[in-house]
Amino acid sequence: MNQDAFAAALRNSLDEIRNICPDVRCSFIFTKDSVIVAGDAHADSTAMEKAARSFQSIAEKTDAVGGLDTLLIDGDKGKVYISCLDKMYLALTTSKDADIAYLRSITRVIVPTILKLLESILPTPLKFVPPQHLTVDTLSGFKARFSADTVEIHREILKQWSERFDGKDISQVEIEAFGGKTTQCKVKAINDSNLNRKGLIRIPEKTCQMLEVKTGELVRVKPIAPQVAASLWPSLKEIRI
Amino acid sequence: MPSKRKLREKIENVSTALEKVKAREGVIGYIHMDSTSAAVDLRDPSKTIEYAALSATTRESGEDLSKTFNLGDVNAIVLEGRDTKMLLLIFGDHRLSIFMDKNVDHNMIFDDLNLT
Repeated sequence: MNQDAFAAALRNSLDEIRNICPDVRCSFIFTKDSVIVAGDAHADSTAMEKAARSFQSIAEKTDAVGGLDTLLIDGDKGKVYISCLDKMYLALTTSKDADIAYLRSITRVIVPTILKLLESILPTPLKFVPPQHLTVDTLSGFKARFSADTVEIHREILKQWSERFDGKDISQVEIEAFGGKTTQCKVKAINDSNLNRKGLIRIPEKTCQMLEVKTGELVRVKPIAPQVAASLWPSLKEIRI
Repeated sequence: MPSKRKLREKIENVSTALEKVKAREGVIGYIHMDSTSAAVDLRDPSKTIEYAALSATTRESGEDLSKTFNLGDVNAIVLEGRDTKMLLLIFGDHRLSIFMDKNVDHNMIFDDLNLT
């Protein structure tokens, strides 16, 4: 099972929780590093990321109370309830009159059980790496034609990602435009020293068109775990030119 | 936002009720702040700065979360740590944070304060 399948399984579970608890408006799961793992069909990615960061600010100050277990925000028009699930957090937004005690009893049983089950069928623990927000630079001309499926980013970012995966090289990334389109590409370090800025991603023109992004716009980029990347390109080793 | 008179009544109720709240078993203390002053009464005064920082950050991030998810004005925030709980109440520009052992029923504390 890879990260996408794990996230899809969790997403389906969160959708089912919404079906049995109509007071839940949206729900999502994120790691202690504020990386979004999965959200239900109503969860907006920008809102999830903002929420995870706001929550992280609180979590950093909770040594005084022995670390953070749950957070409930009661507003005039609704509530947010965030609870700790071992290595992750589950966030629920609900209507004003939601019965939090009931939701708590369901989520504290169902979601950890699902997580344990999914983790038990994984060959190795998943690593959730925070995406980088990078600025697009469109690659056109000769380079774009002959490496149409390869993007370029700063060497330092590739190195940081590689360290997260025990030193294994990162050969593929997933790019998500803020408009919602995503794609997976091969990746290499930027060679041109004039363009070797840390916040840049050089994307071939055709891929930019597919993602509907232009030079200067931001995209979310995250590495694909090396063993998953290898399984996506099994025939690369066999090619002889 | 409550009217000025209602807010004044709430503040008076809270000041009276805090003595009763403080005496409850498991209550560690409170920090009551408005725009110009702060009152602190904690069992362990050495925790004042940590608790004050937690209270301020929780209020700010709590309001961010409320804006992100369109929850309206924040009335209360309950933060449960591994061994201690914080009940944060916001009324006008007042912020009242009550710290208690985790097993204390914060709804009873809320009722004592009579803030509805």
